[in-house]
Amino acid sequence: MWLWNKIKQLAISFRAGKVTLGYPFEPRPAPEGFRGQPVWDHTRCIGCAGCANHCPARTIFLRDICQEVRILLYDSSRCTYCGRCADLCPEKAITMSQNFELATDNRQDITQTIELFMMTCQRCGRCYDLEIKNYLDKLSSLGYRYDCLEVRKVIHRATADFSPDMLEKTSSYQRPDSLEK
Amino acid sequence: MSRAEELSRRLREELGNLVLDLETGTPGRLFIDVSKEALGKVAASLKNQGARYQAAVAYDARKTGQGFGLIHTFAFDRDSLLVAVRTFAPEDDPEFESITPLIPGAGWSEREYIDLLGLKFKNHPEPRRLVLSDDWPEGIHPLRRDVPHDLMPPAAEEVAFRLEKAPAGTSIIPFGPFHASLHEPAHFSVYVDGEDIKGCEYRGFMTHRGIEKLAQTELTYNEVPFVAERICGICGSVHSVNYAQAVEAAAGLKIPRRAEFIRTVMLEIERLHSHLLWLGVAGHLIGFDTVFMQSWRIREKIMWLAEKITGNRKTYGMVIIGGVRRDIERQRASEIRVVLTEVEKEMLALEKAILKDKAIHKRTKGVGHLSKEAAVSWNLVGPVARARGLAIDVRKDHPYAAYDEVDFEVVTADSCDVWGTLVVRVKEVYEAIRIINQCLDKLGRLPEHEPLSLVLEGPVPSGRQGLSVVEAPRGEAVHYVLTGDDNRPERWRVRAPTYAHLQAVPDMLLNNKLADFPIIVGQIDPCISCTDRVLVIKLGQGRAELLQKQELERISRSRRKER
Ligand code: SF4
Ligand code: SF4
Repeated sequence: MWLWNKIKQLAISFRAGKVTLGYPFEPRPAPEGFRGQPVWDHTRCIGCAGCANHCPARTIFLRDICQEVRILLYDSSRCTYCGRCADLCPEKAITMSQNFELATDNRQDITQTIELFMMTCQRCGRCYDLEIKNYLDKLSSLGYRYDCLEVRKVIHRATADFSPDMLEKTSSYQRPDSLEK
Repeated sequence: MSRAEELSRRLREELGNLVLDLETGTPGRLFIDVSKEALGKVAASLKNQGARYQAAVAYDARKTGQGFGLIHTFAFDRDSLLVAVRTFAPEDDPEFESITPLIPGAGWSEREYIDLLGLKFKNHPEPRRLVLSDDWPEGIHPLRRDVPHDLMPPAAEEVAFRLEKAPAGTSIIPFGPFHASLHEPAHFSVYVDGEDIKGCEYRGFMTHRGIEKLAQTELTYNEVPFVAERICGICGSVHSVNYAQAVEAAAGLKIPRRAEFIRTVMLEIERLHSHLLWLGVAGHLIGFDTVFMQSWRIREKIMWLAEKITGNRKTYGMVIIGGVRRDIERQRASEIRVVLTEVEKEMLALEKAILKDKAIHKRTKGVGHLSKEAAVSWNLVGPVARARGLAIDVRKDHPYAAYDEVDFEVVTADSCDVWGTLVVRVKEVYEAIRIINQCLDKLGRLPEHEPLSLVLEGPVPSGRQGLSVVEAPRGEAVHYVLTGDDNRPERWRVRAPTYAHLQAVPDMLLNNKLADFPIIVGQIDPCISCTDRVLVIKLGQGRAELLQKQELERISRSRRKER
């Protein structure tokens, strides 16, 4: 019985033969519909921020450097290739490419940046004021984005509610010497 | 009279006006609000009526002046009914009655909220830290609303484990946090007497990513499915479907039938991949690498198939609130069928070659034994429970997606050990193939080119509760959503199957040989990342000790007497 099983197992292994692919020496193209690195078409993008607002990984950043110029920066390193940005872009400016070989030691290789010229709205001109306690929040309510392109962090709103005193109070906290019973 | 009505009537009779509100609007769900004093009584009453405990959810409701909310959920598997019992405690005295003495499986949930929300539980046998690391400052409870999601208190200097002392007569063998037989960080300090395992202490929760907190502070409803999918590298789709179902239930959405079938197909494809993966890992853990190589070779076909259907091998990204994102057209369906036929054929051959192999029998039969009664009292789920003769399967008991229309068998075994789990998971591969084929048939008959997802009209109403369960390959996963303002959930709670299973591991290990440790832990297919989903940002040590020394000794003695 034991031997018979081993023979069967041998047969299965031999029949399967070598299944390991020659990749990376032989290329292995991704199938159609594959969700690889998203690619931006700067001629189509209108800078609506739809992609940035819906990216679950928060890896698309926008910075309004003045009323007229908006910078869009996409950083692949945190992208999950979900394809939501491509789905939601009203101008179909984003395509999910077949490209998946993205390992690099330089973040800039996998970064895409677009500078967009924005018009100022003649009606609101992004200039009315609201009673919001915080300047960052105020800017955001006017449609401005001020994500940090240097450290690549989305800044949605201020976290002014947390009192640092709370942390201060516990700064002398010591790890317990033994587990309390 | 339906079970829900009967139950409501009975609870009203037993508790009178301690029951504040009953909501039976959704079929198969019963949401009860009780006053704080009644919590223990309700839990006892439900337990006596045969309910299976699922999980606890707690949340910060101070914004609305209700203090802290605590919800215990229970399942009546025979009656397709899920019950959520909610109660509130005031902000200045957030103390609830502990139900752990009654239901041991609630122990972790309650300890989690001691850490994360600063709740207190009266009569909890072991109110110690579970989730937060030893050096997390006292008095900061990360799930509270006033704590920002990216708060990072400075780490303590010394980061060594402080473990319990081994019981007299035993010595400690540490497994983990990183160990060849554990694929994710977790620490087991195993007490051995010679080669026999006499108990163990578990410490996990080292890989918290704060997903629940993120969802309720940063993400929006439709972003969460993609993050939920990343709770687990194996059953991602389970979590995204589960979350979407919970939100849909809360918002009262009915998604297109076609989308439900596609969700079912994806869930079953995921099950195929997971079962084959587990079979390989189990083979590898007992040193039988032919099983490992061959089952993973078969699995690779499933991965390629998934890549074709969804655009990615593992993170399918198919689910959004209200439906799915990609269709399975006729052409795709026939491709799927071809692959499934191959997989079935290969699997049958592999099964014949290995399941009669004595090497497997010797390493799995009688190993990691846990009785049916213990499985019930620890609320085990999934293949681990089915291997102990409990015919519970969420797909049958609480049908979701399109499972009400497909015909399949709930595979059980009664050997109560690793062998049983193995048999169940192998047989379920064929059931999964059957389910997919039926779904494809039915999909073919549904009209094509219909919209695959609902267009949401207006925002999701706030303050509604949604409870959803999905049978993950490893067992039942529970998601609870309380809808909120700002287009995001007020509270989202995930209970992965491993959360229930890990609590029973010390029991499974008792009196086994140390050499069997990897396969015994492996039988529950522990998914540490699912279990650790909640909150700590940096690496630290959660403290967890599952059984107290005396209790361990008591159990091990009684087990000896039984023999
Ligand atoms: S693919 Fe997904 S994660 Fe990547 S940029 Fe687009 S939306 Fe963000
Ligand atoms: S890429 Fe599309 S969604 Fe993103 S800003 Fe440009 S137009 Fe808007």
